[in-house]
Amino acid sequence: MKKGLQWKLILTLAVTALSIYLFVPPKDKIKLGLDLKGGIHLVLQVMTEDAVTIETDTEIARLQEQLKKKNITFKAMIKGNVGNFTIQGLGVDQEAGLKSVLDESFQEWDYSFLGETISLRMKDQAVRYLKEQAVNQALETIRNRVDTFGVSEPMIQRQGMAGDRIVVELPGVEDPNRVKDIIKTTAILEWKLVRAGPAPDEATLLASVGGIVPEDAQVVKGDPKREAGFYLVDRVAIVSGKDLRPVRRSQDEWNSPAVSFSLHPDGGRRFEKATGENIGKQIAIVLDNRVISAPRVETVIPAATGGVIHGRFTIEEAEDLVTVLNAGSLPAGIRYLEERTIGPSLGADSVRQGLLSFIVAIVAVMTFMIVYYRLSGLNAIAALILNVIILFGALGYFRAALTLPGIAGIILSVGMAVDANVLIFERIKEEKALGKGILSSIATGFSRAFSAIFDSNLTTIISAIFLFQFGTGPIKGYATTLIVGLVANLFTAVFVSRLIFDLTVPKTAKKLSI
Amino acid sequence: MKYKYIALVATGLIVLAGLLNVIFGKGLKLGVDFGEGTLIRVMFKSPISVGDIRSELSRVALGNSVIQESGKNGREFQIRTMEVISTKEGPEMESHEKQANDVIVALRGDDGRAEQAAGLRDLNGIDRRTLAALFETQFSGQGEGLSQKIIDHRTTIGIYSDFAELSDSGIGPEVVSFLKEKTYLGKLTVLSRETVGPQVGKDLRKRATQAIIWSLIGMLVYIAVRFKLANGVSAIFTLTQDVLITLSIFSFTNREINLPIIAGLLTIVGFSINDTIVIFDRIRENQKNLRKMALEEVMNLSLNQMLGRTIITSGTVFLTVMALFLFGGKVINDFAFTMLVGTIEGVYSTIYLSCPVVLFWQKLFKPGKGGRR
Repeated sequence: MKKGLQWKLILTLAVTALSIYLFVPPKDKIKLGLDLKGGIHLVLQVMTEDAVTIETDTEIARLQEQLKKKNITFKAMIKGNVGNFTIQGLGVDQEAGLKSVLDESFQEWDYSFLGETISLRMKDQAVRYLKEQAVNQALETIRNRVDTFGVSEPMIQRQGMAGDRIVVELPGVEDPNRVKDIIKTTAILEWKLVRAGPAPDEATLLASVGGIVPEDAQVVKGDPKREAGFYLVDRVAIVSGKDLRPVRRSQDEWNSPAVSFSLHPDGGRRFEKATGENIGKQIAIVLDNRVISAPRVETVIPAATGGVIHGRFTIEEAEDLVTVLNAGSLPAGIRYLEERTIGPSLGADSVRQGLLSFIVAIVAVMTFMIVYYRLSGLNAIAALILNVIILFGALGYFRAALTLPGIAGIILSVGMAVDANVLIFERIKEEKALGKGILSSIATGFSRAFSAIFDSNLTTIISAIFLFQFGTGPIKGYATTLIVGLVANLFTAVFVSRLIFDLTVPKTAKKLSI
Repeated sequence: MKYKYIALVATGLIVLAGLLNVIFGKGLKLGVDFGEGTLIRVMFKSPISVGDIRSELSRVALGNSVIQESGKNGREFQIRTMEVISTKEGPEMESHEKQANDVIVALRGDDGRAEQAAGLRDLNGIDRRTLAALFETQFSGQGEGLSQKIIDHRTTIGIYSDFAELSDSGIGPEVVSFLKEKTYLGKLTVLSRETVGPQVGKDLRKRATQAIIWSLIGMLVYIAVRFKLANGVSAIFTLTQDVLITLSIFSFTNREINLPIIAGLLTIVGFSINDTIVIFDRIRENQKNLRKMALEEVMNLSLNQMLGRTIITSGTVFLTVMALFLFGGKVINDFAFTMLVGTIEGVYSTIYLSCPVVLFWQKLFKPGKGGRR
């Protein structure tokens, strides 16, 4: 054997071995896309303006407190558009005092005086920062929540021009609705003192307070699954989710599922004070602005004790509440933009049928090649199999998911691999017909066919690179397998196929089985 | 080459008919990926007709949904709810979701209500964990294993239509009788459910268009560099018409355009460009050797030399795609159909279109030479 040939053989065997190593066993190393495996794909938008609105509320409260301390009077503070509010009816000669407060501790705000009215606007930089924070925190919270499902390889990523979209992919999850609910729950939990209620409708509820909602109170509806009616509660919460230590699922005194909690020292003290002052009254437990229960205070609850949340939960509901409370609340609301759930049986069906059709196709093509090109057909088949092996090896190496469009990419590259061999063999036949010897026919066949194979593969690779760059999910999957398949094709059809001829056709050959 | 005028006219006619159909007729149907709405795939326990489904859906005012049978035994269907016009983007997504829920609720009807009131669970809807917990009440310590077997078998067959099928999953008769007591078989299962909101639909449309346009430009530039500009233009022309003709046929056959279909179209483009380049390559080679021959004759010769190869290659691709079409399953079926149309059409366009276009282009821009060089 010639020295060059030896090296070529070693290279080929090494590539084959490496590829096989990279994708065996395929069950562990080849990742299936959601369309084949089943699972959930969600695109959500974080309502980042919520975060700005909440911050505005906090800042208004802070400003009111500071102005009170400095004895600066005003009639009202009114919220305008997102990140805007106005102070109206400022007392006479208090401009300077207000200015110094604003300059000193409200540097995130631009302000302008217009007579008695002062408008404040949050600086763009601060708005951007808040929004960025909101998305990051949402990402973190969702990640925490998803972790409790024990999904293998969840994908949670930011996406979109404004960066306010989050893509969540959970392969193999069986109960989509539960997942969606858990992700979407804002999970703001508050304990609020009840002033009136429950009442069947708002009018009845407000009758006791003269028909108008007092400024420091609000109306909250009962969670339809748990508590009927409307409640009038304090606007300011006694304690909230932030004051909680990690909660756990437990049972209440009637043995129904419940969630038990304990509080950090500061919240515990507030809780002790509030329960002490309000014995006999109700405290509403409010989750995302819905009352889940409103127990009556029987006795003072000491700071260190904590308590139990009950709300006619099923075991799953109690567990989900534990999940969301421990993962933290979302800083802003979330809206779904896209959701796809693929059941496991549809994916399994696609894999089974995809595999069947792939095998049928490969066998048909191979049979044809052997019938038409006889022994040389075996050569083509070897190159074809090696091509598929390299392709799967690369998929395993890049941890790229195999999807349905990805299979389309494989088909195209297999088709072009067959074509490369057909081009070469037809060319060899032509050269033979011109009366050339076997070895020189093979040599010219390969060298003449090369430019066609090279150009057609490269053109398609170029287009696939653009598709990869600009395409979304499925199109990307298609482009990936195609690029890998075609690069492998240039190697197998031109290099390996030639090597096989060189190794098997003796120098003195008078006939070639083609 | 003598058929070049006929070929151009034939292409023109098909594309024109397709365009007319798109504009004035049924139009191109955008699937959920590019339009918006919800696509639900369901599987029933026992066969049901499209008419029955439609009448169930009309009770919740969704009778205008597109309902297609996707399986072979009258048990699998895909239902696409039609778009709702609404001014705000937020509520729109929610209304899609609500519609999807309505569809499922309407299809279920009263099924299982009595059983659920009696505390039974739907074996066709129960998840692994809940089922395991249910088993623990009777078969302590075996819950996980039993649940695994039953759910795995359900994944394979899609839905249990009879308790007798349970024994195929490898569980004992005492377990089956336990399940008969504690569970019932719901009449349907939701195989998949995809909702795309208006913002994402618009986004996907834009990205797909961008991807296609840029990849066309990439090919044009490469071919123009390796061959001549005329070849590049011809290649792009040829494959644009490949896509147009396939789309025309889509508009006549009422299939929806989804992301996998785009992958199919791109594959057609890939094969077609491959064919075209192989021919161009031969022409390039022949031109070097036969300098005196007119370009048109060189083209004719090259086409004939490559005819065998074109037919063999396309034949093997056709075999592959046929396998996909016949055995690929419901999800891949539309994709395979695209490919089937495209493969046949691609051969025709390569043989009859790619060369004439090069000639026309050169005549247009080199008036004195009359297509010779």
